[in-house]
Amino acid sequence: MDIVFSRLGDNEARFVLEGVSDGFANSFRRAMMSEVPTLAIEDVRIYDNTSVLFDEILASRLGLIPIRTDLSTYRLPSRCECGGAGCPRCYTVYTLSVEGPCMVYSGDLVPRDPAASPVHDRIPILRLFENQKLVLEARAVLGKGKEHSKWQPTIACGYKHYPVITIDDRCDGCGMCVDECPRGRLANGKGKARVIPERLELCLLCRLCEKACKRGGIGSEPAIRVDEERSRYIFNVEGDGSLPVREIIKEALLHLKESTRSLLESLDEIAGGTSDEESE
Amino acid sequence: MPGSYKCARCKHKVEIDVNVRCPYCGHRILFKERGAGIKDLKAR
Repeated sequence: MDIVFSRLGDNEARFVLEGVSDGFANSFRRAMMSEVPTLAIEDVRIYDNTSVLFDEILASRLGLIPIRTDLSTYRLPSRCECGGAGCPRCYTVYTLSVEGPCMVYSGDLVPRDPAASPVHDRIPILRLFENQKLVLEARAVLGKGKEHSKWQPTIACGYKHYPVITIDDRCDGCGMCVDECPRGRLANGKGKARVIPERLELCLLCRLCEKACKRGGIGSEPAIRVDEERSRYIFNVEGDGSLPVREIIKEALLHLKESTRSLLESLDEIAGGTSDEESE
Repeated sequence: MPGSYKCARCKHKVEIDVNVRCPYCGHRILFKERGAGIKDLKAR
């Protein structure tokens, strides 16, 4: 298995994954979306809310605010020494006390742990008018996206097969495929269309170029063929800022490794049990 | 009816007795004020 990064930032990564099956690529994508833990507000204690929003709507909005997460500081409640009862290692607290008229933003949440502040300060929560007040306390815990989407660390996480474009000698350089391509990955060459190598990965595999070639009267088979390379995938991962993308990728791979290890242990136990029964 | 109310027109605090009417301005539209209790919710 090889990973070649073409782009790696704090919130975005684009890489090519080679030498894996369709099943693994999908498992990897699903692990990044729903098995990587991140912090999100789970419990809200409302002392006063005279705004126009219902308490439940307000709590739901608070839960969706992305929060910077340090996985070395916090633990999942199920794995904490306190057993999920609540301790500074498994949750952090935010307070909010605002009086209108104003717009209440995510930056108005005061965290007990400054490192676990909201990713963006200007997410509007609600608007307070004259004489309206909002006083609450919120508790954030680590959780996984499979339990609730507020714990998903990724905004966009997808992959596609690596495109393989072949142009055979029947190409007469009419340029119809070049005009048709929505991603501009083809260009007119010397009497023949050619692929622009830097733009190859932008191919959508839409095959509009093949249809345009057939419309040009080349025959029943187009001179340009777009295929998918098996076992080679282009991944595009975008995070919401709660975790750096490299950490999302690493945690997802660690999860897959751990799941595989525990599956192998279970299989070994079953295999060991079967051989014991045979000997009896 | 128990609970305090606020007049929609003059914003005075009103206790409803027999008539649903503000004793200060006579307005009949009253808003019920939020209770004093603390509410615990799940952010889901």
